[in-house]
Amino acid sequence: MFDPKIVKKDFPILSRVINGKPLVYLDSGATSQKPKAVLDAERDYYEQHNANVHRGAHTLGDEATKLLSNSRKKVAAFIGGRDEETVFVRNTTEAINLVAYGWGLDALKPGDTILTTEMEHHANLVPWQQVAGRTGAKVELIHITPRGLVDLVDYENKLKNKPKLVALVQVSNALGTINPIKEMAKAAHKVGAVVLVDGAQAVPHMKVNLADLGCDFYAFSGHKMIGPMGIGVLWGKKEMLEKMSPFLTGGGMINEVFPDHSTWADVPEKFEAGTPNVAGAVGLAAAVEYLETLGMDEVRKHDEDIVAYALKKLKEVKHLKLLGTEDPKVRSGSVSFEYSGVHAHDVATILDSEGVAVRSGHHCTMVLHKALGIAASVRASFNLYTTYEDIDSLVVALAKVNKVFGK
Amino acid sequence: MDLYREEVMDHYEHPRNMGEIASPDLEGRDSNASCGDMVQFQLSVEDDIIVEVRWKGIGCAITTAAASKLSVYLQGRTLKELREISEEQLIKEAIGFDVNPGRIKCLTLPVRVIRKLSEN
Repeated sequence: MFDPKIVKKDFPILSRVINGKPLVYLDSGATSQKPKAVLDAERDYYEQHNANVHRGAHTLGDEATKLLSNSRKKVAAFIGGRDEETVFVRNTTEAINLVAYGWGLDALKPGDTILTTEMEHHANLVPWQQVAGRTGAKVELIHITPRGLVDLVDYENKLKNKPKLVALVQVSNALGTINPIKEMAKAAHKVGAVVLVDGAQAVPHMKVNLADLGCDFYAFSGHKMIGPMGIGVLWGKKEMLEKMSPFLTGGGMINEVFPDHSTWADVPEKFEAGTPNVAGAVGLAAAVEYLETLGMDEVRKHDEDIVAYALKKLKEVKHLKLLGTEDPKVRSGSVSFEYSGVHAHDVATILDSEGVAVRSGHHCTMVLHKALGIAASVRASFNLYTTYEDIDSLVVALAKVNKVFGK
Repeated sequence: MDLYREEVMDHYEHPRNMGEIASPDLEGRDSNASCGDMVQFQLSVEDDIIVEVRWKGIGCAITTAAASKLSVYLQGRTLKELREISEEQLIKEAIGFDVNPGRIKCLTLPVRVIRKLSEN
């Protein structure tokens, strides 16, 4: 397996000093840091190739168009999808909104059910609430077990209502749970539901093969997988994308425009209105290349190792209550906890004074926190540059909380 | 660290003026969606002068200390004064400590409650 200590050297920001201490970045679930290769790729695009795409007639325009299309090819191959099914968007949130408005508004009828889980990020819940409000459909939530797994019995029961859509998070951003998407998608398809998967926290950490997963839509962000902010992907089955209405309209997504109506470009351009984020796409392709060099199986091995180590170490810290399952085999990317008697924000501020960056709050999962009966939690989240020493630094910094609050 | 200095921790551990007034002249509450913190203030007012302040809530050390310090500051002030003072100045005079941008909502939660109360 690769050595995260060596990998770390490729990420310039990780050598920063924060509050007089070397930065220990444990907030990769919010956004990952970027290796030099990604930063160089974006810079090279702007320094050498920048022009608008699909305009033909000059060399730079051709180069930019080719770069965009090569980036799409690389990203599509990475997830086992086809180019024409891979739509560039800003992020996971935009990808899910695209499906909500492009598919949901047309397909959902009064009384229809949208089935999702209690552990969704707001990005995979709020758009469905909005579309439900406009169509008369209703949103139903699959419960989670006290161990932080999807309650599969509850799921089976709720599938009996024949939901039109099942929207699932592959890896929970707050609990780290890896959901059994393949089995859940299969069960959903049996009752005729369309399946959308929020893969934002999965793609950075494990091999994702869409042909194997068997969903209809898959959404993820570049910035959580060591790529740039502002670029993300919606993958959709071609026949679904072709049937759907466009989400945003205007330049770049049309075939022909008449005074009173227009016709649409083929997919994926039909969903890419306006000038695309070519530099972002190029940066994302560089991130994919970086990940492929390490190997996604190795990336997942490291992820599981770090999660297991963090669970073990944090379990030994007094006053901590860890959230979610203790089995690292079905966990990825993060460990969240409550510090008994001390508010999550206070914990995070004290950790920051020791150079340790964590997230505190509800992590965009208010429904989940309510289900768990807690207001806020602290999350330490990881990526391929996270080392055992980073976890040790977290444990040492937590002792400072103890000191300040006398616990 | 500086933020959790003795004075702040003292107000957190021994918050002043906590509790409720049986029949307050003014009362209001607000919460921070991002962390679930909630603060309620109750005031007894005579001739525009605040004669009694009681507050309660759930929150982090910063919110709790800020509410406690604010409650001490409010005693004997007039509602007119509170309407005239800027939010920035009120934080400076009443609370007297600063936080980083990520924690500013913790500090302003009790201030928001009081500003709404004085305006109504």
